[in-house]
Amino acid sequence: MRQFTPIELTVNGRPVEASLKPNLTLADYLRDELDLTGTHVGCEHGTCGSCTVLVDGQPIRSCLMLAIQADSCEVTTVEGLSEAGELSKVQRAFNANHAMQCGFCTPGFVVSLTALTRQEPAATEEQLRATLDGHLCRCTGYQNILKAGREALSHGEGS
Amino acid sequence: MTSVPSPVRPKYVGRAVRRKEDARLLRGEGSYIADLKVRGTLHMAVLRSTHAHADLVTVDATAAREATGVVDVLTGTDIPDVGHIPCIDMYPDTKPATHPVLAQGRVRYVGQPIAAVVADSALHASAAAQLIGVEYADLPPVVDLDQAVSENAELLYPQFASNIVNTIAQDVGDCAAAFADADRVFSETFRIHRYGPMPMETRGVLAQVDSVSGRLILYTSTQFPHLVRQFLGGVLDLPESQIRVVAPDVGGGFGGKCEFYPEEVLAPLFARRLRRPIRWIESRAEHMVASSQAREQRHDVRIAISRDGVISAMTVESWTNNGAALCTLATTPASISSAMGRGPYRIPHYRARAHSVVSNKTPLAVYRGAGHPQAALVLERMFDIMAADLGLEPLELRLKNMLTPEELPADRGTDIILAGHVEYDSGDYPRVLTRAAEMIGDADKKAAQQDARNRGKYLGIGFCCFVEETSIGPYESATVRVDSTGKVTLLTGSSPHGQGHVTTFSQLVADELEVPIEDVTVLYGDTDVVRDGVGTFASRSAAMGGAAARRASEAVRDKALRIASHLLEVDVDDLEWRDGGAQVKGSPTSRVELGALSSAATPWNPPLPDGMDWDLAADYRHQAAGIAFANATHAAKVEVDAETGVVDIVDYVVVHDCGTVINPLLVEGQVIGGVAQGIGGTLFEELAYDEQGRPCSPTFNDYLMPTVSDMPWVRTDHFESPSPLNPYGFKGAGEGGAAGAPGALVNAISDALSPLGVSLKSDGPWTPENLLGQIDEG
Repeated sequence: MRQFTPIELTVNGRPVEASLKPNLTLADYLRDELDLTGTHVGCEHGTCGSCTVLVDGQPIRSCLMLAIQADSCEVTTVEGLSEAGELSKVQRAFNANHAMQCGFCTPGFVVSLTALTRQEPAATEEQLRATLDGHLCRCTGYQNILKAGREALSHGEGS
Repeated sequence: MTSVPSPVRPKYVGRAVRRKEDARLLRGEGSYIADLKVRGTLHMAVLRSTHAHADLVTVDATAAREATGVVDVLTGTDIPDVGHIPCIDMYPDTKPATHPVLAQGRVRYVGQPIAAVVADSALHASAAAQLIGVEYADLPPVVDLDQAVSENAELLYPQFASNIVNTIAQDVGDCAAAFADADRVFSETFRIHRYGPMPMETRGVLAQVDSVSGRLILYTSTQFPHLVRQFLGGVLDLPESQIRVVAPDVGGGFGGKCEFYPEEVLAPLFARRLRRPIRWIESRAEHMVASSQAREQRHDVRIAISRDGVISAMTVESWTNNGAALCTLATTPASISSAMGRGPYRIPHYRARAHSVVSNKTPLAVYRGAGHPQAALVLERMFDIMAADLGLEPLELRLKNMLTPEELPADRGTDIILAGHVEYDSGDYPRVLTRAAEMIGDADKKAAQQDARNRGKYLGIGFCCFVEETSIGPYESATVRVDSTGKVTLLTGSSPHGQGHVTTFSQLVADELEVPIEDVTVLYGDTDVVRDGVGTFASRSAAMGGAAARRASEAVRDKALRIASHLLEVDVDDLEWRDGGAQVKGSPTSRVELGALSSAATPWNPPLPDGMDWDLAADYRHQAAGIAFANATHAAKVEVDAETGVVDIVDYVVVHDCGTVINPLLVEGQVIGGVAQGIGGTLFEELAYDEQGRPCSPTFNDYLMPTVSDMPWVRTDHFESPSPLNPYGFKGAGEGGAAGAPGALVNAISDALSPLGVSLKSDGPWTPENLLGQIDEG
């Protein structure tokens, strides 16, 4: 007999109730059951950062978290960052600085940078780099992501 | 063919236009292969070999067939009629060491597909795959190159009597005479290690039989959907008309998705057997063994040079470790390395022999730059080694041997498989090198080295100059159509995976038709929408797909002018094209807008003049007149901590020339992204194998790619030498970043550590541990 665990959570501001298999990851739950496919799974072992979502405001790797652990939590995915289709400050900075190419890793970067700009609006370059360091991008070489991060944090021009 | 200037009133071409594709990707609305959902989908899992080299004694799927949720199982013996994965770059005498879709009696690498299971969930499918009983009878594994070509080596394909399955010959001039006359001869052996493309999105497929037409639909994360359609038709013996291939959003490729893979056959096989949609998404662990790997070569090089530094001849014998089989693009790296071995230098006499060698590793294929990075590293290292010996400055020695613009075009006497004859078309190589030297501060090196020594570090500067084959043909397609609202649609056969074609191709079309860029829609990636095309690889899209897009736009504009001539009853020569409409010269109020012109060419309107077809649309197939050669110099400044072996890249400069630039923002993005991959390959990344042929890098915790903190701030400068080989002077920009970085870095590290007697003869990877080993030996 398979066990199902009931959970209640908020996803992108919307209350959700579900009864889930305990071995379902948060990433798979968001993607497969809620069709929030902006959360991308690139490595399945917590290294690449593409699957980053906010859980109670903190960036976490949804491939390493079980969905049932998100019980009573507030989850925000990349789809929850742009209100009514309007790009957020971080998203606009990515477009303005060409900080993305294939776009696969991008949601993870955007989610983490959003958390940084919310928690540390005056974050230092060191804090910015520490945030980006937890993410892999294979297209851009990071330079333009750094520029986008500086712009989103209002550090001014990239060097 | 002469270069046609940009449009009369360019508004977009040459400008840093922001990407049109970003907004939906930023909102998480991308549609990558794993995001597709089709009702009733079954899930496929692949059982892969855990042995590098073995005969399959038994493959018993009995238990798997009975496992929970399992619907179907295929093993090699079930599909004797399915063709091998085609290799498209074989020479006439290449031994056909291609591989089957599922192993037939023998496995030749860890990760080779043995069987495939389809079940109601991915979990059930993979659990059932593990129930397949495989009995292996191990054979001696052949792992490294020297071992594979040694006498009495175990043969992967006994029928070919050798593990060397192809040898490419390039002969220019008379090397023997030049070497006999040489003042000095330098010989070295260089080794290039194995690493790979590693896109952030793994591969994946979704296959289904269309319930209306009965045709097969294959969604696949690929760089070349039209070629996949052709390959799949060949392997399954199906007419192409019965196949639709769709590349959805593709999360990076870099050459790794410019291959045709067994899963692209297996899922369609099941879909046809079961009449159910079949989905397979590659796990990262699978990707590390089941997707193509790259680079691994050995080069034995000899150079004949005069006392004052003029190189007369070069010979190079190289061996590429192709792994277990010749995959789709297998000999191309060796072909490019051997054809481009002399880079931007004269070297009048040249002889290359490039062997493709099979071994018990994952098949090797192209990766950003294909054979360029290896060849550039070898020659550029030789320049520094020879300069030090001859007491010449590295820069001086390079400039002395470098082709000047006056010597171009230059027939190099070599050939590249699938691409053609090597004739450098245009460029100013010395200017590019000189500018890079100036930017990196080469003249102030001594003072910088002293400053670093005072801080306990060793500083070095390294250069890597190269000429790069780009814009491979044979052709690319474009269709431009204006609908009755005056909006424009471009269909392109060049299907992108992050390059930004929607933006750059929109720039081209918008400028030709003088319409707002927002009015242009770019479609690609679906063989039912774009009926013919080639794909995105080999830095070809701007020069091939872009040229086709502009030519098709021109044809549409010409047709629009003829329709206007008919509507306005004015001779076409008295009309001009302005701001997206046709108007009478000198009388701008007598004018027809694009929408009205296209409406006039739709049904229920008065007929058009004789000889003019309905529909304001045009097809154009741009054919390559030859290879457009880009060029660049990379210059790296590094500081090495000799106590820890850590390399700090303190400055990095790329000066490059990719002809006419459509969008500098995107070109720079390509360059810097390529540099990051070159840095990764030179400092960290390695697809290592143990002596049993078992892969040692199963995860991203073992296969280390650069993060933001590993990257220098890359500074670039651009020159534009338009190529005379396509109407707008485009050359490719996609791969050069990765081609120059290994040579520049290895030269810089060697320069830094030369006081300690270090002279590197490989591309590492120069991890602290590996570099400390060299310092200890030095």
